[in-house]
Amino acid sequence: MRLNEWQQSFERYLSGASSAADVALGASLIGGPTLNVRTGLAIYHNAYQARLQEVLRGDYPAVLNWLGDEEFERLAAAYIRQNPSVHYSLRWFGKGFEAFIRQHLVPEQSAPLAELAALEWAFTLAFDAPPGTPLTVQDMAELAPQDWPTLQVRPSPSLQWLECAFNSVALWRAAKDETQFPGGTALDSPSVVVICRNELVCQYRSLEPQEANALKGLFERDWNFAELCSELTVIYGEGAPLQAVTWLKQWIHEGWLQRGKS
Amino acid sequence: MSASLPCLGYGLGLRSAYYQQILDQSPAVDWFEVVSENFMVPGGKALYYLDAIAERYPLVMHGVSLSIGGPHALDPDYLQQLKRLADRVKPAWISDHLCWSRGNAHQLHDLLPLPYTEESLHYVAGRVRQVQDVLQRPLVLENVSSYVRSAGDDFSEWEFLDALSRLSDCELLLDVNNVYVSSRNHGFDPWTFIQGLPAHKIRQLHLAGHSDYGDYVIDTHDHPVSDPVWALYQQTLDYLGPVATLLERDDHFPPFEELLTELQKARELGESVLARRQKCA
Repeated sequence: MRLNEWQQSFERYLSGASSAADVALGASLIGGPTLNVRTGLAIYHNAYQARLQEVLRGDYPAVLNWLGDEEFERLAAAYIRQNPSVHYSLRWFGKGFEAFIRQHLVPEQSAPLAELAALEWAFTLAFDAPPGTPLTVQDMAELAPQDWPTLQVRPSPSLQWLECAFNSVALWRAAKDETQFPGGTALDSPSVVVICRNELVCQYRSLEPQEANALKGLFERDWNFAELCSELTVIYGEGAPLQAVTWLKQWIHEGWLQRGKS
Repeated sequence: MSASLPCLGYGLGLRSAYYQQILDQSPAVDWFEVVSENFMVPGGKALYYLDAIAERYPLVMHGVSLSIGGPHALDPDYLQQLKRLADRVKPAWISDHLCWSRGNAHQLHDLLPLPYTEESLHYVAGRVRQVQDVLQRPLVLENVSSYVRSAGDDFSEWEFLDALSRLSDCELLLDVNNVYVSSRNHGFDPWTFIQGLPAHKIRQLHLAGHSDYGDYVIDTHDHPVSDPVWALYQQTLDYLGPVATLLERDDHFPPFEELLTELQKARELGESVLARRQKCA
């Protein structure tokens, strides 16, 4: 067998469901005094599956906590079959797990589980995102008064935005703290969760609707500071600038913002 | 002999479980080996610790995804990232494995053995030269543990490594544990393997633990180094002279002190062999 042909055959074997090799591949190999070809090949087959299973368990501990070992293993095995790894780094293998859950399971089961998977993946994205140049309190102190109205900001590279319809944060928390699993439930109203790495630590916070709308305006509609204050006037009246400054200070403290186009 | 290559001394594989302790304790480790792919990320903790540790210790880069023998074209994005990381880390050298880890269609994330044939030899040698052109330095390739071997081999593994180093000018990372594991699995004499390598091309040694199932041995890196591997290591150093030694652990991470004690054992055994060797010279 030519090298390329042999490697194709080996690849098909590794990513196949069975640890029994086809005749041609088996015949192209030899074992040792006490290690036969079938066992030798099975070591590679098991290692391939185990390595990818381990990656998913590491990236999705809360989904694992919800499903339990056996059900998670079945789900992960189906994912491995349908989504073989295409990136040289295992860091990206779990990227499609949320979408896979949505397609693979019935909607009633998939919606909360996929949302939890999205939350866990968001943490991984925040974890190793580029550092960017977060705005600091010092930057704001040095901002000239005439520059405040036109100040624009954008999200830090690690900031992840997730609209949750279920109690995914509570499920994630329970897995992390190893406390009793609270059970998946729909929230009375959807809630925005922001995940961001501040210095080296990933943190999350659920936002009230007004705060979420304010941030969305800054990020998606390119509001400047004056426009933010103007939008907040509808709810906060004369207190709008104070509210805007209070939030701005908090977001900067949390490392959520970078300087935007001004 | 390998003494012509600079020897870094006794090092440890840098693993995230020990980052903070390394910075807090500045342990007596001569150098660290980093898994290249773990640091091919845009930001975050891993790079922070990498930079901090690089300020204090010499580093070597050790990859697992080059897939030098794979059926695919070499990944230019991977090579550029490897080069960028090397520019950041300034490693003493860059290594990967004589294996394939990616197929035609997918990444396989394992260190798969190659058939040791004339066809493989010329194919891999050409690719090594391509990598060396990008990295602008010799590539250091490690022998892998294996559980099957090709029935159509033209060379033994050591003959292949010898021929490859001559054809491509690559250097070698001799994993003593892998030699032992493969020798048990395939029934060859580990010393014949080591003596068959071009000694002057051996840049580094690896030591690690394995799991012994009686009929076969699996390279798991989750145990301390076994007695037969320690014995083979001493014999190897006696033969080669001073070569940089690296202790690897990739699972069942013990307290850091235990790993340092194991590294100290490598140092004491190594120094004792080298002192005796010098006396006899």
